[in-house]
Amino acid sequence: MRRPFRWGCVAFSLLAATARAQVRQPAEPRAILDTYCVGCHNARLRVGNLALDEIDPGRVGSASDLWEKIARKLHTREMPPPGVRRPDDDTYRSLIASIETALDAQATATPRPGRVPVHRLNRTEYANAIRDLLALEIDGRHLIADEPGGHGFDNAASVLTASPALIESYLSAAATVSRLAVGRSAVPVVDAFRIPTATVQDERAGDRQPFGSRGGMVVSYYFPVDGTYTIKVVLKRQLYRYLLGMGEPHQIDLRLDGALLKRFTIGGEGRGMTAPESFAGNTQGDPGWEAYMHTADDGLEVRVPVKAGRRDVSVSFLRQHVEPEGVLQPPQRGFARTTNELYFDEPAVDRVLIGGPYDGSIAVDTPSRRRIFVCRPATRAAEEPCAKRILSTLARRAYRRPVTDAEVQTLMTFYRTGRKEGDFDLGIERGLRRLLSAPAFLFRVEREPTSVSAGTPFAVSSIDLASRLSFFLWSSIPDDELLDAAVKGTLSTPAVLERQVARMLRDERSSALVDSFAVQWLQLGRLEGVVPDVDEFPDFDENLRDAMQQETRLFVGSQIRENRPVLDLIGADYSFVNDRLARHYQIPDVYGSWFRRVYFKDDVRGGLLGQASILTATSYPNRTSPVLRGRWLLETLFGAPPPPPPPDVPQLKENGADGERHSVRERLEAHRTNPSCAGCHIRMDPLGFSLENFDALGKWRGTSDGVPVDARASLPDGSRFDGVAGLRKLLVSSHREDFVRTFTERLLSYAIGRGTEASDLPAVRKIIRETSAQDYRWSAIVTAIARSAPFSMSTTAPAMAVAHGTDDTDHREQTR
Amino acid sequence: MIVTKKAIPRRTMLRGLGATLALPLLDGMIPALTAQSRTAAAPVHRFGVMYVVNGMIMQNWMPSAEGAGYELTPTLASLAPHRNRFSVLSQLACVPSPGRPGGAHAKASTRFLTDISPPTSETWLDAGISIDQMLANEAGKHTQLASLELAIESGETAGACDVGFACAYTNTISWRSANTPLPTENDPRVIFERLFGDSGSTTPQARRARIAQDRSVLDSVIAEARGLSASVGAGDRAKLVEYLDAIRDVERRIARAEEQGARELPVVDHPAGVPESYDEHVKLMSDLQVLAYQADLTRVVTFMLGREFSGVTFPQIGVPDAHHPITHHQQEPEKIVKVAKINAYQVTKFAYLLERLAATPDGDGSLLDHSTLLYGTGMGDCNAHDPRSIPILLAGGGVGQLRGGRHVRFPKETPLANLHLTLLDKFGVRLERIGDSTGRIDDRVLSAI
Repeated sequence: MRRPFRWGCVAFSLLAATARAQVRQPAEPRAILDTYCVGCHNARLRVGNLALDEIDPGRVGSASDLWEKIARKLHTREMPPPGVRRPDDDTYRSLIASIETALDAQATATPRPGRVPVHRLNRTEYANAIRDLLALEIDGRHLIADEPGGHGFDNAASVLTASPALIESYLSAAATVSRLAVGRSAVPVVDAFRIPTATVQDERAGDRQPFGSRGGMVVSYYFPVDGTYTIKVVLKRQLYRYLLGMGEPHQIDLRLDGALLKRFTIGGEGRGMTAPESFAGNTQGDPGWEAYMHTADDGLEVRVPVKAGRRDVSVSFLRQHVEPEGVLQPPQRGFARTTNELYFDEPAVDRVLIGGPYDGSIAVDTPSRRRIFVCRPATRAAEEPCAKRILSTLARRAYRRPVTDAEVQTLMTFYRTGRKEGDFDLGIERGLRRLLSAPAFLFRVEREPTSVSAGTPFAVSSIDLASRLSFFLWSSIPDDELLDAAVKGTLSTPAVLERQVARMLRDERSSALVDSFAVQWLQLGRLEGVVPDVDEFPDFDENLRDAMQQETRLFVGSQIRENRPVLDLIGADYSFVNDRLARHYQIPDVYGSWFRRVYFKDDVRGGLLGQASILTATSYPNRTSPVLRGRWLLETLFGAPPPPPPPDVPQLKENGADGERHSVRERLEAHRTNPSCAGCHIRMDPLGFSLENFDALGKWRGTSDGVPVDARASLPDGSRFDGVAGLRKLLVSSHREDFVRTFTERLLSYAIGRGTEASDLPAVRKIIRETSAQDYRWSAIVTAIARSAPFSMSTTAPAMAVAHGTDDTDHREQTR
Repeated sequence: MIVTKKAIPRRTMLRGLGATLALPLLDGMIPALTAQSRTAAAPVHRFGVMYVVNGMIMQNWMPSAEGAGYELTPTLASLAPHRNRFSVLSQLACVPSPGRPGGAHAKASTRFLTDISPPTSETWLDAGISIDQMLANEAGKHTQLASLELAIESGETAGACDVGFACAYTNTISWRSANTPLPTENDPRVIFERLFGDSGSTTPQARRARIAQDRSVLDSVIAEARGLSASVGAGDRAKLVEYLDAIRDVERRIARAEEQGARELPVVDHPAGVPESYDEHVKLMSDLQVLAYQADLTRVVTFMLGREFSGVTFPQIGVPDAHHPITHHQQEPEKIVKVAKINAYQVTKFAYLLERLAATPDGDGSLLDHSTLLYGTGMGDCNAHDPRSIPILLAGGGVGQLRGGRHVRFPKETPLANLHLTLLDKFGVRLERIGDSTGRIDDRVLSAI
């Protein structure tokens, strides 16, 4: 039904356009629309339910959302559709400019800041808030129930539901955290820290391990009280539970904060006849040998007194500087690592178990106690005033505002119950537990002026602004300095705001922007779940996965810290590597596990586009996918995501199914010959080809499937370019606006904790205009966001409870 | 005993306390609970699976006689006290689909609840949703946890185990979707905390102390939230109402658990970690399973006594040999004896679970009356890794829908999937087919009628 109709429309449009072009130059917006658009989008045909002859581009009025959509379609050159006469670039630009000017003028006159619904602290924010409130580091994943996965950012109010299981876990966490923080005696528990099987332990495992060590791990562990703890090491076993590498003696060091606790020697003591190598489990050796192979690591345990607080527990082997005789063998990976006992190979650590405290001591001096106990009562009479001081100080920080007497009294009631049951500390613990259970802590509820009517925009109070800022930049509660400025009412003044933003960005808590914003914006979470095909990539190990993640984190972190222009995310000529990643990137002369900055002159690496993390997260386990990469580029960097694929799309045929090997490019031709695929794939695939020189793990390659890589690519607007260098150049020059706009929109969405909508786009453009003189540097963009209407303003709640929808189709996660 | 008008009969009181022992954190709503009517609600139907690995010595397992008069074989001997509470189901088949060879172990565990043969791959996971998860989808709406996946061995889901197959296939039997294997948990401490929070113990004293605290926090928080929601606009109120609803839902769940009201609960202290002995470990996990059912924290539990392909040794019963290698016994009598010992030993663990469930009152009956339990493995004869006739026990009363005490021999190579379809029916989940099912089994042989 639809297709003939559309063709008719196009034909009509062409005729109309030809007729009018002779009499008028397409300069006025009205004329351009009439020339190129109205042929289909008119009151009679209403293609796409749009009649452009009925609305006036000079007066956007109440149709501003519609005009934003039109502007977006023009930006991405989606309209007019391919095959129809299209305006030249100047005409496109002039039409877009006039529409946006009208929209921006209207937004300035009558701002529509939107409204952020009540936020619940998410798991990350909760853990950070506990860290900043109580100097206590907790693992939110252990304490807080699984969050329902949403689209876009995990701090979007709309996905922060309050299910019974979640609420229960917050209440339960309050009990655990208050006990840990006050440091009363703790239940003895054993915490296990495991090293994945695919982590290779042949080298020094990171900066915090001693020189001359090999493998193992460092556990940063919070010892809740002064007491006796056990530290036990379990070594790797193969599938039948035979220990690996027990043929010869090896030495294992156990350290606490770098100091040697004990050195063990293990291996080489199996008695009697061994099973034939690599047949253990299938063929039995002598009983003594069999027993040894199962139990040799039983005694790798120490029992030590430890002072409360966070300490590094490290386990590592002493590196043996010997070269194996004979022909150098490839490293054993995959199946061999799981099934072979590798008798004369090197043993590896499987897990470290930390247990305790076993004598129930009480913490005397810990960072948490120093933070909590701002006073110590000398007499019984001094207790109440001191408790009040402690709890009201904590409540002000936790509730992120001055607290009322009634609120303090509530906490004091819990203090008194605890005091009656036990001692002063127990009283404080009970008060703290109540505080951490409070809706005032767990929810971000903003105050509204009562004098204005429903649905009216207003400037958020400086106290709420402080919370917005701290959750934006730190994913945590405001510190005293920020809160003080807010209470004084000076935070809204431009100079103070700018100074606070600069200070907050310099603070190391701003690493939350890397861990939360950047990781989600770049969709790097997927890297965790990638399982590369062992046949295609026998070299892959967990060390490489870790290095990939670390590179991107360090890179984005450096960009923020050095306050670089955001275009440098793409255009930078440097990145960070350690020896494992350098080997992957074929960079010579990089030794050791610490990451260092390296500069590139080859136009291959440097910036996000050459980073293995992204290239791997957008590939399949056994091959690259120009589709996934093209989609990622469109969505993440160009801000023009294609719609999700229709259901029941068949997989590509296995390569070689017809007896011949084909390049991915050839195989994807099907996408562009099938009309129902072509609409979207004509935009994704040609873009994704530009990264074909990187294999599915981001390693550089000249050929793929036996033929030289063809990395010629093109954009939906027809721009042609070649390879990653071409793509990089394009993004920082001719298409820099696309990138800056996309980046700004995503950062704004993260900052306000809701999806951006058409009404936010004037603010996005304003931020871009305001920051262009400063080369779009991080601090400039962040400050402009802080000043923008969506961030610094809100709207009083509508009279009816109407859900504030987010535009999910624009933020849908890519499905794999 | 002095009985005043307002006093609660001691019996009721004890029931109340009994239930609260096992409740999660916010279990303190005694006034709300005692106000509840105590009419027996419709019993909750639980599902449980205990999975053993590496096949069996079938001649020691399978009774020769059929029907109610069958003889308990050496492997089944420990189940004698529960003879009327379970049936032996024979000649069910768990045969991989044609065209997908290899991976006897990976397929045994994967097919056991999904009836799907995974493709040979160390990276691409593709099975099907398992029947426990089909049930959990529905039952999970009413409980704190949709399901529990317990195990004795720890296992990551990365890497390759059975030749050519990802470890996920041998490490779990529960699949939330075709591509999502559910990791199992072998640390009772983690299970305890998932069920009971940070509560230290399930002893009455520990519980009572916490109840008082929990209740006061809960009351105070509800009051605060009410005040807050009165002060905000309508849009925000919706979110706070959602929050208040969540708290009330916790109360309701407590009330429901209260209706299960039972007196005796095994006292379980907050476990520190994984016990050293296999016996202790299995017992503790089973106790937690019973507690979870009893307090209605979950209705669906799978429990793997090993992971498929396992090489665990059993020196405690005189088998110091790794499990999998000796199951390829090559007809050596000494090895056959050892494998049979392992088989019988593991059945005693099932007997313990049945005993605990039978001893735990639940509404008008016991937890065992209100459960459907499967015991078995995806392979029959271990030497040949033969999936054509696998060992299966079906236990529990199935809320009046199952009767035990028989040995049922199905026609040769009746797909296990057919039994699955019939069991799903009993939970009100009606499907036309699952995996490679060819129909339903004749329900008359299972049902109580």
